[in-house]
Amino acid sequence: MKILVCVKQVYVPGTDVTIDHSSGWIQYNPTGFRLNSYDEYALEEALLIKERIADTRVHAVSIGPGRTEVAIRRAMEIGADEGIQIRYEKEGYLSPYQTASLISSYAKEKQYDLIMTGVTAEDDMQMQTGQMIAGTLNYPYASSVIKLEMKTEHLVYVERECDAMRRECVELPMPCVLTIQSGINKPRYPALSNVLRTKQQKLMEIPAQDLVMPEAREKIIKVFLPETTARGVFLQGSAKEKAVELLRILHEKAFL
Amino acid sequence: MNDTIVVIAQHSQGAADPVTYEAIACAMELCGGDNSCIRVIVPGKQTADIAEKIAGTTGADVTAVEGKGLKLYNAEAYIKVLEGFLKDIKPLYIVLPHTSTGYDLAPALAVKLKASCITAVEKINHADGKHTFIRPLFNGRLYAEVVPETESTVITVQPGAWHKAVGSPDKKGRVNVITADAGSTKTRTISIKHSEYESAALSQSDVIISAGRGIGKKENLSLIRELAGIFKRSAIGCSRAVCDVGWLGYRHQVGTTGVTVSPKLYLACGISGAIQHVSGIKGAQTIIAVNTDPHARIFSVADYCVVEDLEQFIPAVLEAYGRLYSE
Repeated sequence: MKILVCVKQVYVPGTDVTIDHSSGWIQYNPTGFRLNSYDEYALEEALLIKERIADTRVHAVSIGPGRTEVAIRRAMEIGADEGIQIRYEKEGYLSPYQTASLISSYAKEKQYDLIMTGVTAEDDMQMQTGQMIAGTLNYPYASSVIKLEMKTEHLVYVERECDAMRRECVELPMPCVLTIQSGINKPRYPALSNVLRTKQQKLMEIPAQDLVMPEAREKIIKVFLPETTARGVFLQGSAKEKAVELLRILHEKAFL
Repeated sequence: MNDTIVVIAQHSQGAADPVTYEAIACAMELCGGDNSCIRVIVPGKQTADIAEKIAGTTGADVTAVEGKGLKLYNAEAYIKVLEGFLKDIKPLYIVLPHTSTGYDLAPALAVKLKASCITAVEKINHADGKHTFIRPLFNGRLYAEVVPETESTVITVQPGAWHKAVGSPDKKGRVNVITADAGSTKTRTISIKHSEYESAALSQSDVIISAGRGIGKKENLSLIRELAGIFKRSAIGCSRAVCDVGWLGYRHQVGTTGVTVSPKLYLACGISGAIQHVSGIKGAQTIIAVNTDPHARIFSVADYCVVEDLEQFIPAVLEAYGRLYSE
């Protein structure tokens, strides 16, 4: 089997988020990047399949400037066999449709049986890319997968997480696209053997301009910090004073 | 220019879900405050009754699209049926709830319709006759204002961002029923499974003490349990992240994908306030939040805010409680 896991290097801001007004996007602090945690669940699911089915190959692909190599290598250290870097040099926002188009254009002729990715990215939280890859490639798909079983060589059974703790049980033939929900498994840490192997490996680099990338269909005109909408009362004083005040409120409202 | 706004209804067990009425309310705002340009589509097996109900409640025109292969939600079948239908209408906007059905369908549908897709919309801005859409980034730490550049735009609406739509009681929308055949699909939706977990404890408790990743480590759950112990009829809840790391089972998960709760008191400990969590506690009468980060999103919905480290604060509460209130 051949599995493609789409991973994203996300930016996780610390306590301060700064907006760069010249680019209209947030200012990156170089230490704030990491592998999207939802993609780690997708990668783990691919590796679990690899453990069960002989001759399974797992590829990790990501789009972005040079810095994204770190995230791809992290995926390889965790267990992906190969890393593919689609080089797109411009920093800032890339729309899900453009991302999906680039990945679809790369994956089209590569005979992947399964394309997996996280249900969302921690930074822009779109929940779109996987479904758009499926739409572009005309593959069946399921998003928000919380359970996955290989039924036969060509058929997967998944449970999709729905609202109010319901699950939708779906069967799909391969090739198909699955977006993976957090909590489906316990993502592993890199093993030393994989770390050493990754050091010897080269990434496959593909310039974005060699692939199909359409114009964005929507644009971000600005990003902004939400107004502080705290409507409640902030308790004041030391921890002990706040504790006493909180108990007084709870008592007054007859909760105690 | 076509100004039709299509809402794709979400329903379960023979009734429209509340999020459908919220999506219709968003569509009404896009329509300029009334429902004249709205067309609600209710795909499913026998959806005429649901369509009647929606038309009666909101005054909007509703089309029930009934057919084989639509009994349970199936992205492929829905797209097959909706694609042709929507290509004929060429709506300006197609509005869905931002739920696991809505965000499953919206992006792929947008690709088929060559439409833009804007998810998790919380607010609409109107300027120069154009709409822009406000959606969160970084779990609500930031917001983006997005403008579509296509003839059609698919949007998904954050649950809880709009109040449910109500129309004028004397004007009922028109209802028509059309039959569609999704034909054969590669994807097969087998069934809907309801959780095997008993979540009654959470939905029936007066007081919920809830833990987030901010409690730091699993061992600190003992502090949460001790705190819960000072209240009568209390239960332990948590954020999704706490379930994901295995500190508590999913039956404790509060939020739209877990249990939606409406206790008298909700005490959030170390919870940052992810949108799906906050939507799940909207019914709580009093919300108290304890978090070390004064900018945590949970404070925007809390009645009482405590910026403290739980490892110090909870013992201080327990100590003061023992001294001042326990008999």
